[in-house]
Amino acid sequence: MSLTVAPISRPGGVRRSELLLRARELSIVLALLIVFGFTTLKNHEFANAASIRQLLSGASLVALLAVGQTLVVVTRNVDLSVGSVLGLSAYLVGTLFRAHPNAPIALAFLVGIGVGVLIGAINGIITTVTRVPSLVVTLAMLYIVRGVDAEIVNAKQIDPTLIPHSFQVVGYEHIFGIPWLAIIVTVIVIAVGFYMRSFRAGRDLYAIGSNPDAATLAGVPSGRRVFTAFVVSGGLAGLGGALFLAQFATVNATGGSGYELNVVAAVVVGGVAIFGGSGTVFGAALGALLLNTINQALVAAKVSAFWNQAVAGALLLAAIAFDRWLSLRVERLESGRGERHVV
Amino acid sequence: MTVLLEAIGICKNYGHVEVLREVDFVVNAGEVTALIGDNGAGKSTLVKILSGATNRDRGTILLDGKPITMSSPTDARNLGIETVYQDLALAPELGPAENTFAGREILKKGFLGKLGVLDKEAMRQRAADAFTSMGTDVKDLDAPIAALSGGQKQSVAICRSVMWANKVIFMDEPTAALGVRQTGKVLELVRRVADRGIAVVLISHNMPEVLEVADSIQVLRLGKRVAEYRNEGTTVAQLVGAMTGALDVSPNPSTAPVDGGAS
Repeated sequence: MSLTVAPISRPGGVRRSELLLRARELSIVLALLIVFGFTTLKNHEFANAASIRQLLSGASLVALLAVGQTLVVVTRNVDLSVGSVLGLSAYLVGTLFRAHPNAPIALAFLVGIGVGVLIGAINGIITTVTRVPSLVVTLAMLYIVRGVDAEIVNAKQIDPTLIPHSFQVVGYEHIFGIPWLAIIVTVIVIAVGFYMRSFRAGRDLYAIGSNPDAATLAGVPSGRRVFTAFVVSGGLAGLGGALFLAQFATVNATGGSGYELNVVAAVVVGGVAIFGGSGTVFGAALGALLLNTINQALVAAKVSAFWNQAVAGALLLAAIAFDRWLSLRVERLESGRGERHVV
Repeated sequence: MTVLLEAIGICKNYGHVEVLREVDFVVNAGEVTALIGDNGAGKSTLVKILSGATNRDRGTILLDGKPITMSSPTDARNLGIETVYQDLALAPELGPAENTFAGREILKKGFLGKLGVLDKEAMRQRAADAFTSMGTDVKDLDAPIAALSGGQKQSVAICRSVMWANKVIFMDEPTAALGVRQTGKVLELVRRVADRGIAVVLISHNMPEVLEVADSIQVLRLGKRVAEYRNEGTTVAQLVGAMTGALDVSPNPSTAPVDGGAS
């Protein structure tokens, strides 16, 4: 690994720690290229424009939810309710169009985001006030929201003819060959990524996840920050619901089921430590893209669909093993260096 | 030698347990004051009270001769009182620079700063200056703290408190987890902190270490301060005797006529 033996940085130069941070994102990009290259060799159709658009828009929703999930996971929490939130939001936005066929598109998105923000706020309040582990709180919320959704949907579904064309454009049209979905999600990834990197509140999330007691002693408003992370995760899941409806133009009571697991998998594969304190939204979004690409590659290679999940699972294990190996290696190298200084 | 922090008649009960019984405690500017005592003597409780982490039941705390009240560690910090906790209270995934400024980040000037954008370069620079001026060797200000040796971690924690404290720093067993060589480094650092005019309160179980670095030694036993020594001429045997109650402590430490001895 040439990365870990790079010389110690000087101010102004590229810092080795920054290289290490990037290492994860670079390795995902590399994996993406390998999967993409091999599949294209076997099946040239895989690299045509329509297929690539399919890869991008197929990964967009999971990537969007992975952004919110990253904020939550970085603080040592998890939000399992995102799939249900997405489903409920999609159905309610559809209901809006059923009641008011000429409702403005902006209102549709606001309704979707609003539903998510509300549920995210409930998750955040319960987690920060009662100190019940978020795994349990959001698991309960997963079922509650799904139940509410089923009750509202009542075995009906949204009829695609109800959805205005101008709204659907966002879901499956493209501009300059790039799907609108992918553009929207990319803008959000960059904005949130910058926020996490350069803003006080963003850095606080890392401090909280890295050592909660230290963060509190240092005067970081932990409760408020964790609450905000849940609100953002919920809000993005709500936005995802609106985009889901725009993409598929229909949704029933099972819309978005199982998304939470894809999202958590994307986040972990993307290098966000499940115990908090490290990882970026860029990595998480790339993780979503990688998982979707592998999925599609298996389809293109005519591998049985049953293998999809097994491969995703194996990749998850590989990601965690790689993280562990990397951090052990860094620790050994750095402490070896430390000893030399002391002696 | 000016008295910087003075605690008078501090009492603290947990239920029926009297943890502190009318404890007096004095810290001078520019000195290392060791606080020693057996387990359960009340050292930690006293430090928690003096650093704002716990409330006292009774008693007065004077800083620069003026009575103060603190209801949180943040209050204490605003008064120039910092604490280096035993478990370090550093975030392992973040670098030394970020740890130094956690909760007190420098924002960029102008509009971006109003939005909450951090000035990372300024923080890195200030942290680097602080580490250099304390003679601490931290090479990579962004490498995760987890990758540093125990001594370096402790040095980062101490330098951080030095950057912010202008009055008093409490250090709870800063060398407890360190090897011999690293302990030496950290003790040198403790000495340099005091030489800047800051009052350092060192909690320790290690008597030779206390005698090596402290100017004054105050002994707690069963919730009372039972002895106060100046370093000169004090022996380990005396300290242990005062801690355990085996020795009948002279009420006036300056007359304790001892020379040479253990360690």
